[in-house]
Amino acid sequence: MMKNLMGNIRLYFASAWYSYRALYAWQSFAPYISVKIAFPLAQMLLFLFMGRLAGLTDPLYIVIGNILLLPATNGVSGVSMTISGERDFRTLPYLIASPAPRGPLFLGRALVHIIDGLLSTIMAMLLGVLFFHVDLTHSNLFLTTLCILLLSLTSCGMGLILGSLSLRTREAWTITTMVVTAFYIFSGVNFPVDVLPKSLQVVSYSLPLTRGIQAARLAMDGAGWLTIQSLFIGELLTGMIYIGIGYLVFTWFEKLSLVDGQIETV
Amino acid sequence: MFRSSKKALHNPLPFIWQQISIQIQMRALSLFSFGLLVVQPAVFSAVGYLLARMAGKSTPDLVHVIIGGGIMGMWSSMVFTSFFDISNDRRSGTLELIVGSPTSLTTVLAVRTFANILTGMVSMLLSFFVVIVLFRFSIPLRNLPYIAISLLILFFGFWSVGLFLAHFRAASRVTGMFINYLELPVSILAAFMFPIEYLPRWVMWLSNSIPLRWGVTGLNSSFQVQPAFSTIWLDWAISIGISLIYLVVTHFLAQRVHDMIRITGELSSV
Repeated sequence: MMKNLMGNIRLYFASAWYSYRALYAWQSFAPYISVKIAFPLAQMLLFLFMGRLAGLTDPLYIVIGNILLLPATNGVSGVSMTISGERDFRTLPYLIASPAPRGPLFLGRALVHIIDGLLSTIMAMLLGVLFFHVDLTHSNLFLTTLCILLLSLTSCGMGLILGSLSLRTREAWTITTMVVTAFYIFSGVNFPVDVLPKSLQVVSYSLPLTRGIQAARLAMDGAGWLTIQSLFIGELLTGMIYIGIGYLVFTWFEKLSLVDGQIETV
Repeated sequence: MFRSSKKALHNPLPFIWQQISIQIQMRALSLFSFGLLVVQPAVFSAVGYLLARMAGKSTPDLVHVIIGGGIMGMWSSMVFTSFFDISNDRRSGTLELIVGSPTSLTTVLAVRTFANILTGMVSMLLSFFVVIVLFRFSIPLRNLPYIAISLLILFFGFWSVGLFLAHFRAASRVTGMFINYLELPVSILAAFMFPIEYLPRWVMWLSNSIPLRWGVTGLNSSFQVQPAFSTIWLDWAISIGISLIYLVVTHFLAQRVHDMIRITGELSSV
């Protein structure tokens, strides 16, 4: 049993290492930095101008929301891309054929995206302070960091579900992009969730990120653990449920693909 | 036997029709196009709508939020399709056949870009449908000629930029990375979804060099209750002028691409 556990841990970190190598293989440093700076800044600016058009005077809600979405999009897109990338590079059948346990294999690959998400957020936070005068002097920095890590972690479940679609369809990456875009509406990034119609609020609270972003906003306002604990625990539970569903979906699709031999044909 | 020295007149219509037909079929069945043309603009417009609700307004600025979303959808669709068409040809091995055919690569790209704009119009038409049917926005009849001309000029701007980008891709492989960062910044610089006055002064020189910015300004002015021809015609003229500059630059790029393909034999670097 001990040997088994050590094997899984080794596999987890080996997957994380390869995922790290893969991340920097397709992105040299310059485009990586521009992804980390230009893209979040552009996204933030677009919503800021739209907010101004709507008549909002305080841009900080949108700025902070978009910063907090970064670790989440990193988790969702990164994990999904890791799996769909296997298909693109024709290595998915070999992976399916290997006896390696799927949990540590794919969760290990998520590790690098969690760390990358944290780095992206720190970078965006600095931009927020420099360009948009985000005030962190009263923030509970420890809890804010914890919330950002939580967002990175819980978003991986959604990434795992979307990435699993690669086993059944060529369009997994396109679907991932659409879902990430939908977060702009559902996760309370640009406006509070209660602005949404009631039916959409239900959708919003059934997704990961919504509670995590709310908790992070409160922590940035200086709130303590007692204030955010219900949101934090709620986000953690939602994330765990999504990771569980992601794992089940992956293994289910894997079995289906083995039965009908459609990994490479669909 | 007498052979005429005159070449038989080539009828380009079958070629144009075939290219447009293939392009539209490829887009119509693609989930990626659906995402770019429908989902993404719908999400951005919804965010604009909900931001207006948050600010206490029952209706957003429909021209910027909804029609602007449609223009953004059109841009996103065109920027990705025109830019990556040539890469797809290269990947599927059809680029050599196109280059070897008597029709120039530029002609093929020009027709394809036009087809991509036609596909992108889905996004624009949907936005008009939403504005008119769901929000009951009435457009006065006297505005229609202004709107029609503005749209034509905007489409010409899209075509010139699309053609430029397609050749740009052909001239350099590394531009593939850069395209992913072009979509949103150009949407901001051309102010698809908000008034151009919101942009800071120091960035205006960049914004002014994009024909779409002038086309969009002209279109927005055309929706006003009393469209002022004295200012709209200037937007139209500048948009056409800058579009023509893009086409001139594209002509030189096309020559470079032609040399790369036929003289230095760098086809595989395209």
